[in-house]
Amino acid sequence: MYCYLYDDYIQENKRFEKELLKIENRLTDLGIAGKISRLALFRNAEEMIRDEIDRGVETVVVVGNDETVRKTINVLSDTNVVLGIIPIGPNNELAKKLGMPEGVLACDVLSARRVEEIDVGTINGRKFITGIRIPDFKAELMADDGKFRITATSKSSLEIRNLQEDSDPTDGILHAVIQSQVREQKLFGRMITTQSILPFTSLAIRADKPFSLLADGLVMEGTRFDIGIEPKTLKIITGKERMFQA
Amino acid sequence: MFKKEAHMAHSAQGSETIIAQGVKVEGDFSSDGNVLIDGEVVGSIKTAQNLQIGQTARIHASVTAATALIAGEILGDLEATERLELTATSKVRGNITTAVLSVEPGAEINGTITMSGPESSKRGGRRASTEEYSEEQVG
Repeated sequence: MYCYLYDDYIQENKRFEKELLKIENRLTDLGIAGKISRLALFRNAEEMIRDEIDRGVETVVVVGNDETVRKTINVLSDTNVVLGIIPIGPNNELAKKLGMPEGVLACDVLSARRVEEIDVGTINGRKFITGIRIPDFKAELMADDGKFRITATSKSSLEIRNLQEDSDPTDGILHAVIQSQVREQKLFGRMITTQSILPFTSLAIRADKPFSLLADGLVMEGTRFDIGIEPKTLKIITGKERMFQA
Repeated sequence: MFKKEAHMAHSAQGSETIIAQGVKVEGDFSSDGNVLIDGEVVGSIKTAQNLQIGQTARIHASVTAATALIAGEILGDLEATERLELTATSKVRGNITTAVLSVEPGAEINGTITMSGPESSKRGGRRASTEEYSEEQVG
């Protein structure tokens, strides 16, 4: 049984009307039409999904963008319910990485139902799929239960990667990637960008002063973030054109 | 030459640790995979596999690895259980223990060298005194 979760920005914007009609017709043709649940400003997405799961829904298809997906993963991970995406409009990086084409074309990929189990990252109890980003990294990483710490000695950015072009979201490992601007160690050396990579399963980022980061595009602020991974806890439909390795 | 070898190793291995220039590690760092260091480390480094220390690396740590290729500076004891290669740019101030040792002309070693390979173990190990190598360039 399928449930289609329409984000409110799609319902409010008339330019998506035609595309939605095409999608609904195609889903009926493919025999995978289902219940339509509409998100709204004061409706709790997680509660709605829980209700649908209780009613026996086996596949939840998000009709929206990365932000819509983010509203579902806390409930869907660690269940047997499969997540699908029909990307519509801007801010659909996750769908691209999963090989889901935009709009009505995604219906055929959903119908092919190529399901993969991927890892889900956690940050202070919240879940994320793609990763975390700190554009101006001045904090420190504490790894291996505090046995060692990592700091940047020059201007740097930090990324925690789970589902990215060059990472495998099924390996049970996250990667901390620090990109630093340093001067080449030679006479008249120019500035170059170096890249440090640290594979890990749990890690803390901390600083004396509050700092902000982006987890799957969501801004979070604090002085300490505990990051971990839940291996293969999210079942998700992917296309042949998916960009990640597995 | 070293850099080329290092980059080839990166692409061949999946889950390896890279500590690049611009990053400092403090504490007891251990890894199950390959490790490449071009940055700073203070404390100790332990890996069950290959360790590469680049020219820009500054290591104030005791180092343990299966195999090691050193092109940078190490202040601390160095143990490579299988094989150790010191390139022309390497500087080691500490005691070395390894089974197979390769030293390029120009490498600097200040410390004792203990050969711990299967052959030398049978003979009770070979040991070079500090006096032989102290304050002197090999090659």
